[in-house]
Amino acid sequence: MKTLLFKTLKNFKTFLVSKFFAYILALITFIGFLVFVIASRDTQFELTKLIGEYGNLIFRGFFNTIWISLITLVGSLIVGFILYVLSLSKIYYFVALVDVFTEIIYGTPLLVMIILMAFLIGPAFDNFDRPFLGITGLILYIAPFMKNVFKSGFSSIPKDQYMAMDLFGFNVFQRYQYIIIPQVIRILMPPFMNNFSLIIKGSALLYLLAFPELYYGIYVAQSRSFLFVEGYILLWMLYLVITVPLSQFTKWIEKKIIG
Amino acid sequence: MKINIQHLRHAYDTEVLSNLNFSIEGYHSIAIIGASGSGKSTLLRILSSLEKPSSGTVTINDASISSKDYKDRIGFVFQNHNLFPHLTLRRNISLILEKTRGFSFKEADDTALKFLSIVQLEDQVNKLPKNISGGQAQRASLARAFSLNPDIVFLDEPTSALDPVLTYEVLTTVKGLKGLGKSFIFVTHVMSFVKDFADYVIFMDKGKIIEHGKPSILTNPQTEELQRYISYTY
Repeated sequence: MKTLLFKTLKNFKTFLVSKFFAYILALITFIGFLVFVIASRDTQFELTKLIGEYGNLIFRGFFNTIWISLITLVGSLIVGFILYVLSLSKIYYFVALVDVFTEIIYGTPLLVMIILMAFLIGPAFDNFDRPFLGITGLILYIAPFMKNVFKSGFSSIPKDQYMAMDLFGFNVFQRYQYIIIPQVIRILMPPFMNNFSLIIKGSALLYLLAFPELYYGIYVAQSRSFLFVEGYILLWMLYLVITVPLSQFTKWIEKKIIG
Repeated sequence: MKINIQHLRHAYDTEVLSNLNFSIEGYHSIAIIGASGSGKSTLLRILSSLEKPSSGTVTINDASISSKDYKDRIGFVFQNHNLFPHLTLRRNISLILEKTRGFSFKEADDTALKFLSIVQLEDQVNKLPKNISGGQAQRASLARAFSLNPDIVFLDEPTSALDPVLTYEVLTTVKGLKGLGKSFIFVTHVMSFVKDFADYVIFMDKGKIIEHGKPSILTNPQTEELQRYISYTY
């Protein structure tokens, strides 16, 4: 009887110092804080009312956010790779062009980029398709970040390896297929995923163009129901629903491939 | 092996090799020695066509080193093994045979295993380069060079990154490979290995060939530069 009690106590002690428990505790801390600030309000908290009445609108926005983020991811990977190739060009004008573009984008707020795309650059080319222009703006904004990921990835392959590939007689495609890409994909995955998370959060600014993504859905629901705090909390939760699994997935990939 | 070098110059920012003229015939194991910065590694890289000289001509066994198929007839062992880090030892060898030498997957794999067992790595074939010792990696690199069935094998300071025990291990492996009937051109700082293994020695200093001859020049140096070099290395 005594030993059983001792054993239970010991197990409880190991549980207390375990990593798993630490994470549970950390989560409870944040949830507790949230509950505290919500409970401190004078008015009622009507999250279920918001979801009940505007759920369809909000969840359509949720899925729109996911698919425009995916399109932007693929688009910015392609444009980023093109920028990377141009930055290696022997024609120095291209190199300079990529450099200046990168500097400009780094200093530009995404908000300004999207507005300029939709209301200045697009119309100059007779294009008034706002969703298209908004997503294009997002792609162009993320592309220089992707370019730098490619750059750091490919430059991580030492010069001697290129010499060896040359000596053994691999052609250009074989070099990329068998030697370069399999090595850099391991290095590139985590920063790509970080940029993806940047895209997801950045896509919220497309609400400015009345594009029905997640924030726009919440915004409409808020202005009709006057449930502002509830709307922002729901918005916050839904972004976490996308980004937390994504960052966990990234960590898993890092462990799986690099580890 | 027949080597003919004419008016060879090479410069990066400063001149590394200045107007080398040199020819020999009939030796099979040539050592290039000299202090760091003497141009010996550069000469080795030019002879193995890894680098293109600024000017001059080099022929080995009467074929120009800039000819297209020259690279197919040589093997090269780098200073730091330079195995592809994402491939196992057997794949490091079989990928090259399969993709660039027209072997089938099976033939390539069998050849890889054969050469890895020659360098006594048969129990490490499925490991990645990062999971074996520096000496084992350098032996795998030797196996890779020999598996391509080259006429000449170049070794660029193959033991400079290794401690004395591993150096001994790698150099013993090289000696064992002499039986395969290949010619060697190598750069090293290990003088005992030069004496045992080389049948010709080239001594370089400040981008020039100062002295060359049979390994006996090491015990009876004629120039002040070689005397000084030997007094430092012993």
